[in-house]
Parts: sequence; structure tokens; C-alpha cells
Amino acid sequence: MTVSLRALDGVEETSAPAPAGRSGGSRRSRQRWLWALAAVAVTGASLVAAGVGERDVLRAEGIPAFVEFFRAAGAPRLDGEFLALTGTAALTTLAYAVLGTALSLVIGIVGGVLTSQTWWSLGRRARGKRGTVSWMLARTVLVVPRGIHEVVWGLIFLIVFGLDPIVAVLAIGIPFGAVTAKVFSELLDETARQPYSALLAGGASRSSAMIYGLLPPALSDLLSYGFYRFECAIRSAAVLGLVGAGGLGFQLSLSFQSLHYDEIWTLLYALIALSVAADFWSSRVRARRSARADGTQRTGRGADPVLVGSGVLGLALIVLSVWWIGLDLAVLWSGETWEHTRRLLGDAWPPSLAGDGLSGLVWLSAVTLAISILAMVIGFCGAALFAFPAANLPRGSYHTRRHVLSRAARLVLFAASRLVLVVLRAIPPPVWALLFLFVLYPGILPGALALGVYTVGVLGRLMAESAENLDVRPLRALRAHGASAAQVFCYGVVPAATPRFAAYGLYRWEVTIRETVVVGVVGAGGLGYALAQQLSGFDYGAALTTLATLILLTLAVDFISAAVRRTVR
Amino acid sequence: MIAMARDAEQARRRDRRAERATERAGPEPQAGDRDDDIVFELREVSVRLGQVEALSGVDLVVRSGERVAIIGPSGAGKTTLISLLNGTTAATRGEVRALGCPYGRASARHIRATQRRIGTIHQRFDVVAQLRTVHNVNAGRLGAWPFWKAALSLLLPRDVPRVREALAQVGIRDKLHERTGDLSGGEQQRVAIARVLVQQPEAILADEPVASLDPTRGLEIMKLLLDISAESETALLASLHDVDMALDKFERVVGLRDGRIVFDKRRENLHDDEVRALYAIEQPPGSA
Repeated sequence: MTVSLRALDGVEETSAPAPAGRSGGSRRSRQRWLWALAAVAVTGASLVAAGVGERDVLRAEGIPAFVEFFRAAGAPRLDGEFLALTGTAALTTLAYAVLGTALSLVIGIVGGVLTSQTWWSLGRRARGKRGTVSWMLARTVLVVPRGIHEVVWGLIFLIVFGLDPIVAVLAIGIPFGAVTAKVFSELLDETARQPYSALLAGGASRSSAMIYGLLPPALSDLLSYGFYRFECAIRSAAVLGLVGAGGLGFQLSLSFQSLHYDEIWTLLYALIALSVAADFWSSRVRARRSARADGTQRTGRGADPVLVGSGVLGLALIVLSVWWIGLDLAVLWSGETWEHTRRLLGDAWPPSLAGDGLSGLVWLSAVTLAISILAMVIGFCGAALFAFPAANLPRGSYHTRRHVLSRAARLVLFAASRLVLVVLRAIPPPVWALLFLFVLYPGILPGALALGVYTVGVLGRLMAESAENLDVRPLRALRAHGASAAQVFCYGVVPAATPRFAAYGLYRWEVTIRETVVVGVVGAGGLGYALAQQLSGFDYGAALTTLATLILLTLAVDFISAAVRRTVR
Repeated sequence: MIAMARDAEQARRRDRRAERATERAGPEPQAGDRDDDIVFELREVSVRLGQVEALSGVDLVVRSGERVAIIGPSGAGKTTLISLLNGTTAATRGEVRALGCPYGRASARHIRATQRRIGTIHQRFDVVAQLRTVHNVNAGRLGAWPFWKAALSLLLPRDVPRVREALAQVGIRDKLHERTGDLSGGEQQRVAIARVLVQQPEAILADEPVASLDPTRGLEIMKLLLDISAESETALLASLHDVDMALDKFERVVGLRDGRIVFDKRRENLHDDEVRALYAIEQPPGSA
């Protein structure tokens, strides 16, 4: 998680400097109140839009199915035939994730270099302006692939390539590549520039100086980030299966259609096992790397066996994946592909409005926004609730010695909340959405609940980690003044954690608005649902309009979130 | 009006320059005192970095084969001067010429061609810790290599005999395949020097080359640089913290303070008092 946290910090650093002085401080606190009021207002509006208290939202007849689903968790289908099927599907999902991540790394390296300030800053004033313009241009080019969710990419590539393994690889690789490029460009700009400028001063060309002076130090950071993205890619690959790309997700959707809950749980366990394995591998690699970076690297000379082994294993996985899914790049330049692309673009331009016109589009945008806001409220409250029990708070520093029983209770609470968080984030949002569609009528609520519950899992872990990293000195000082543990919590822990939690929540909101597509596609409503309908109905002009609206909406959310983060910091 | 004012300003500056020249009775004319052996030439150069005037009105001429030490207190502008000479910092006013190339007016291609002929060594070594030694040394040839060759060399090192020879010359023949970050500070600086060697430069700039080494290692590195300069008749210009080393080893010493050249003399004409004055702490105004 460290890399994503750093990326978040990077976002904060680029924001404008806070106004100094007393008046600035009071203005900021006033702004904070205004944002809080606005948050309450939009939450209320979203609830009204969701029809809470007005319409019948609960489907009583679905409740038994819902209960039955969770009862099946204890009795997954474990016969040999189905296990073999699950294994094959899991390997396919893994192969998509591996190849998608590999592609995203290639795009990330090239794009990262091209969007780094270092690449465009030439030191000499005369060429400075041109460099800035090129830099802005490169950044802008990457905004669009980043703004489109991988499921949407998947839907588009399904039209172009049909049912081909390349769909999943491209659908993961392109948006992940754009994100990786952004992170990598920030990494490059943070890397010490002296070796690079020393080579430039010796008359080396920019590209040569880059591969000798700047890439080698930044590369290990990039690879560790790549491993983190690999975790995410596994979840994405499963979700892509739900829209028809094959693998675990595809099997999940089949089992859902036939309501075989025991099969669903077998598949979910496979997905959880895969994610946990990827999580373990990536955290091992990243722990090794940060140990090296901290200066404890003097333990041994030369290369680290874990890192080298991971690299070799990664390469082997790429080769095996290509073989397993039978990836054939020839489809990229086959005549049929061109024909489909041409037709798709020809139909999409000029963009058109769907049946219910502009007001329909505005309404769908409002619905999407409401889904994301309610999801965030659910996610934030749930995560804040789970974060402290799930955090391994620095003990002894401000706690007094306690009774064995109370310590045991604390430990049980800790383990239980960690487990809940793991399960919540292991089940992909569309599966949550399908589940909530059992008990709720389609609309804002099932989507919001699905995303919200998933967000609790993700955000809870982030918040727990940040609570673990709190500065303990003020807490110890409070303790020394004779405050009780509860008082320390209220006066020391909560105020220190709140701004960070708020920042994470806002950051997560940017992710959630993109994810509304995922729950929309399976029928929870909003722009994502409309987009899936338009694409499957060959109404490409309307789909383009919807897509553009979606991108504008995500950009607007990014903008608001950045503005609010500046005031809460 | 403006033109007239500018003329007057220029005339004033000319006078000042003449005054300064007589004052400091600069380096004695040498045997081959012609223009074609000038390596570096600074005329009335000022550099403004943000709000700070890092260098103001600096004149300096360095000829081929000369060994010049630049000394002065911290913040005097030594590093800025070096980066001016290798073309990484642009002069705000005045003209900088290196090997005949006027940095301010030359094309990017011409500047790069010139930079290829100047080797620079830095205090912090500026070698890439993650690369093996052979690559760090080969980095000195990037200016002469096309991109594909540079990229290929990272996989299959090119021109290894030449690298080996350079490493032998700096005394670390056996470190060819080590990760540079695993070497000691002194060894890393040797790698940096080997990198300059394969570049075969016509001038070597050294920015505090021994400041991060202990005195014994520092002296060895300095001797190495002086030997290389003497052997190949390459001009060597080094900024140094260590005044004694500068006075011991260099025939010409330039004193820099507050961005101005205080003295520029041959070693034998330099008095201890002048050196002491260079480093003296300024009395705050009003104190007795």
C-alpha cells in the first residue's frame, strides 16, 4: 500500500500552498465547515433520490435467497469436476492479470518518461517554454485512458475483437498503464537528478542519459509498484470475466444465472486465494525493497534472492500466460479488426443523445453521482468504525498494563475486524451488486450498497495502516498528564487521524465514481448501466455521449476532491 | 536615452575591469599566449539564481594544460562557476566560451558536441549506484554513442577492454562487474574518474572532488587527477575546500568570495594573508 499512499501524498503536494497567517487559518476553518455542510446536504439529496422513505425499496421475497447465499459459504461445491473447472478458470484470470500488468508496465515506463518534468526540463531558459507545453500535452493525452474504467475498455474491445483473450489484456493494460505512467513520472521526478544531469553535462543525449542515469534508480520502485498493481489486476481480471472475457468472473456469472450458490462460493474462495497469494507476494517484494532502501541493504552484496527470484518468476509467468490463453497478436492488425474499428468509430461519430434526451443524461449523471456519494458515506463510516479495532496500534506507548482477559478480548476484536475487512474487499463490487439486487429493487441503493461495502474493506485497511503510523509522542504526553485510555483516544488519536482519514476518503471517492460503472453494468443503474445497454444495442453514438459524460463527471469529482483535500489538510 | 545609458554603463564596466586587471596583476603571460589554446573564457559573467546573485562580473581565462584550483568559503559561487563552464547553468549576463563554443549563442547540437569534450567530476560522485561499474564507466561515452548502442550495452557491455584499461588506470581493475553502490566512497569516485577517462576530454572540471572522502583517500584521488591532467596535457579546473591541498598541488589559484574573484594568481605570488582574508568572517556593521 505504501506506493499508493505516496501517490496520494504526491497529489497533495502539487496543490497550491495553504494561505498563511491567522486570517488564512480562520478562512480555512470556515471552508471546512462549508464543505461539511455541503457533504451533509448532498448525502440527504442522494437519499431522497434513492427513494428512501418514499418508495418501497426492499424486496421481501429476495431475503431468503440472500440468507441462503451466505449460508452456502460453509458448503462450497468441492467435487473434482467443478474444482478442475475452477482451477482452469483461476489460471485464466491469473494469466489475464499477468499479461495486463506486463502491458501496463511497458506503457507506464514509456508514458512515465514522456510525462515526467525531468524529461522536458532542459535547464536552459530558451527551451523551457516549449518543454512545458510538451509536458502538459503528454499529461493531457494520458487523462482519457485513465478516466475510463477497465470494464468500459472491456466492453469496447469486445465489440472490436469479439471474444478474444486480447480483450482482457488490453482492457487491463491500457487504463493501468495510464495510471502507472502517472505514478512513474512522479517517481522519476523524485529520483535524484544529479547522475542524470552529470551525463547530460557530458554531452549525452536525453534518451541515453535517461536509461543510464534515471531509469536504473527508479526502476526498482516502479517494479514494486507494478507488483501492487498486479494485486489490483487480479480483481479487475475477475470483474472483466463478468462482462464476458472468460475466467473466474465468467464462471461466476454463469453460476449466478443458475443460482448455484455453492459453486459461487467455490469460485469466490478461489478468487480470494488468488488475491491473498498476490497480496503476499507483492508485500514480500515491497518489504524487501524498502529494507534495501532504508540502508539496511549492506547485509549482503549484489542482488537480493527474493527480488531476483520474483523477477525470474514474473518473466516465466508472462511466457506461460501467453501460452495458456493462446494470445495471438495477429488479431491486432487483422482485416476484421480494422473493419470493426472503422464501423465503431463511424457509428459513434457524431455523438448522439439517447431516447430521453439531455434531461435523461443529466438524470443519469445525478444517479451516478448519488451512487458514489452514498457509497462513500457507507464506506467511510464503516471503515472508520473498523479501522481502530483493526489497527495494530503502537502498544505500551500510551496504554497501561491491562488485565489478561481484556487483552484477549482486544486480540479477538482485532482478528475479527481484520477478517471482516478482508472478506469485504475480496468479493468484487459487481458480485456485491448482484447480491443486493436480490433484496433491493434496481436503482441507486443496490449500487451504492455494493460499492459502499466493498469500500469499507479497502478504506478500512488504509485507515488502519494510517492509524498505526500515527505519531505516538502526543499520545504519550496526554497519558503522562493522567488521561484515561478513552480520553487519549478522543483527544489524541481521533484529532490526529481525522484529516488523514478524510483525505483517504476523498481520494477513494475519485476511485468510487469510476467504479460506479462496474456495478452499473450488472444492472444497478446510473451511467454504467446506460452505457452497457447502449453498447449491446449497437447505439454507439449515444454510448460515446454517455462515455464523455462519465469522463467529465470523474474529472469534476477529481477536481472537487482535490479542492476539499486542500482545506482539510 | 536608453541606448545612451547602456553605453555609459558599458564604459563604466570597461573601466572597472581595467582597474581590476591592474590591481590583481593576474596570471603571467605564458610562452604560448595565443588565443587558440584557450580552453575556458569568461567575460564579465554574472549569474542570478532566483533572488541571489551567485556570480557577478567574473573574468577568467584558462588555457590548455593549466591546472587551476578554485578556493573560497561556502556559498562563494564555486559550484556555479563549474556548472557555467560545462554548460549546465546559463549566464545571466556576459559571455562564456568553452573550447571556442559560446554557450549563450550556440545551437543545442554545438553545445552537446562541446560538452562531450569536457569531463566533469562531482563531490557526490554522481555515479548510478544501481548499475554495475562497467556501465557507469561506459556512461562517459554516451555522448559518442547512438541510443541503440547505449541501450544494447546495458544488456551486453560494449567496449569492455577500454573500460578495463580505464579502471586499471584509476587502480580498481578488479571491480568491473560489481554493483557501483556496493563500492566504498573512494572507489566510487575512482569510477567517476574512469568515466571521465573513457570520455577522453580536452578539459576536466572537478567540483569538490574529494570533499566526501577522508584526507588520505582524498589526496590519492587528487594525485590521480593531477597525473591524468599532466600526462594528457588536459586542463584541470578544480574547486576545493581543502586550502592546503590547493596551495600544495596547483600552480594557479583563484580565490572566490561572494560571487566575485578576489585573486587569481600563480601559487608562488600568493600570500598567506590573502588566503586568510578570503575566509575571514565578516564583522557585522557597527561592531568595533
